[in-house]
Amino acid sequence: MDTMSLLMQGFAVALTPESIMFAVIGAILGTLIGALPGLGPANGVAILIPLAFSLGLSPTSSLILLTSVYAGAMYGGRISSILLNIPGDEPAMMTCLDGYPMALKGKAAEALAISAIASFIGSFIATIGLVVLAPILAKFALKFGPSEYFALFALAFATLGGITGKNQFKTLMAAAIGLMIATVGIDISTGVQRFTYNTLELFEGVDFIIAIVGLFAISELLFFLERHAGDGLKQVAINKLKLSPKDIIKVLPASLRGAVLGFIAGVLPGAGASLGSFISYTLEKRVSDKNGTFGKGDSRGVAAPEAGNNGAASGALVPMLTLGVPGSGTTAVLLAMLISLNISPGPMLFQQNADLVWGVIAAMFIGNLVLLLLNIPMVGIFVKLLSIPPKYLMPVVTLIASVGIYSVSHSALDLYFMVGFGVLGYIFRKVDIPLVPIILGMLLGPEMEKSLRHALVLSDGDWMALFNSGLSIGLWTVAVLGLVLPIIVGPIVRAKMKRSKDAVKDA
Amino acid sequence: MRINDRVFGMLMLILAVVYGLEATKFPIPFGGHESVGPETFPIMLSIILGVSAVYLMVRPDEDEPWAPVSMLIELSVVVLSMMAFAWAIEPIGFMPAAALVVSFLSWRMGANVAKSLITGVTSSVVIFLLFNNVLELALPLGLLEF
Repeated sequence: MDTMSLLMQGFAVALTPESIMFAVIGAILGTLIGALPGLGPANGVAILIPLAFSLGLSPTSSLILLTSVYAGAMYGGRISSILLNIPGDEPAMMTCLDGYPMALKGKAAEALAISAIASFIGSFIATIGLVVLAPILAKFALKFGPSEYFALFALAFATLGGITGKNQFKTLMAAAIGLMIATVGIDISTGVQRFTYNTLELFEGVDFIIAIVGLFAISELLFFLERHAGDGLKQVAINKLKLSPKDIIKVLPASLRGAVLGFIAGVLPGAGASLGSFISYTLEKRVSDKNGTFGKGDSRGVAAPEAGNNGAASGALVPMLTLGVPGSGTTAVLLAMLISLNISPGPMLFQQNADLVWGVIAAMFIGNLVLLLLNIPMVGIFVKLLSIPPKYLMPVVTLIASVGIYSVSHSALDLYFMVGFGVLGYIFRKVDIPLVPIILGMLLGPEMEKSLRHALVLSDGDWMALFNSGLSIGLWTVAVLGLVLPIIVGPIVRAKMKRSKDAVKDA
Repeated sequence: MRINDRVFGMLMLILAVVYGLEATKFPIPFGGHESVGPETFPIMLSIILGVSAVYLMVRPDEDEPWAPVSMLIELSVVVLSMMAFAWAIEPIGFMPAAALVVSFLSWRMGANVAKSLITGVTSSVVIFLLFNNVLELALPLGLLEF
């Protein structure tokens, strides 16, 4: 069947009242979470996963809900960037550059509206990209044998530190720790107990949902406490929206360029949304900044990075859905969700669960439309939320996360584990050990080990079998490049990003 | 200062060695030795972790400052309060346990006592009703059960 008719079938799934309801709820919750300073899409999805679980939603519904949360959080991130000059997460950083100056000039409403339109264009174009690229990549990946898969997993870890990561060895370390946690439990192929010390609770291994909530949500609470972000933040007042068609036409080219660049950055392993918004902004500045207005409240400087980071968010779903290898923290969390629902992402997903994949893709189109409609007239409501001091909000968010975990298994032990992971997450973040590779290690560990053993059994224990085809050698080469290149290029990119960040602080 | 990474690297090196040694002691699975047994992958991991731990000790990054001791004690108290919540949720019940832990956290984050209590009680009641009645996920009533 061709892509078009599959997509139409997807719309049939996504246009049921139930699916639309989950897309709307997800979009609202996501925007709320994204708008809060300090909480980003990864935390948002992490907090809501256990809920989706304990409610026993169908895989399609859960995935629609969580991808809408993801998209919504990417939209919401811009609100605190523009009004408070505080990005909710790293990708939203570049929006501060022109968004906050615009708000200071009394054009906060325009900045919010333009960023919403640009976000929509970014997501929309990238979703079209996803429709076109994903089936092709999935077909290609069907040729993968166990040795190619092993190389692919290695590639995922090697590129995870990415260009913006600081120390490649710390990424490697984090990946190893995650994979080690994944080995706890009964070995599937031999039945040998590994690292369980005869504790019944450990026989099935460590549940990664608990680890995700602990590492992301609980450690965030501890960081919040340490920073003592006690009071509500002073925000720029919002004026009445005055937006002419001319203003929209002015930002269209910037949004389109940003969308395409962002999508590419999202698909590439290890690049992600931070790089997507960064290159979109830099390129736009080079192309359009003729009068030196960028950085002083130019609307194109708001549109480009917003289109870029939303484009990257959808782009990151391409490797996640087709190869089972997530390109960002949030997609790693979404992957966790799929695995827990007994759905293995990867090339087979497009064949075995065509309804699910295309339903979710169609739901993304709908979700984006909902987000656009929601964000222009209702932005005031989300803005109100920013005035609630975190000292009330953070404890409640923590409570919701804990209740979610408790509802999954009704076991207090899981809550102890969650807090334990929270403390670990706090320590890891203090020594700059990235958390995403740990999660990814826990997720991919079993599959990675399975493909290693499978490949070696097929070759009677000959380790050279891991490099037996052109494809696997190609993957290994990219993996090595992904590990080595950032050591050379990384410092340059980071220095540039830092300069932009300092420019925000001076403003 | 570059102490954090050295200490962390040391701890991870110990972990790598212990983990690797444990892996070599796995019982031989039923049906005899395979070319790749349950210990192969763990041993690989212990080598990767060990090598990166040594690298971290030799070339550590600049430290991120730790919080002062008073804050660390504060954080430990908060962690303990969450542990207490985990312990209390069944015997005492969700609503009282949640009200206490949320009030405590708000208070520690700088809210005054009255407002903390209001936040704690309202949020626990609202979440209980939402979970029990709307989402139909039963939370333990504990002491409130008659």
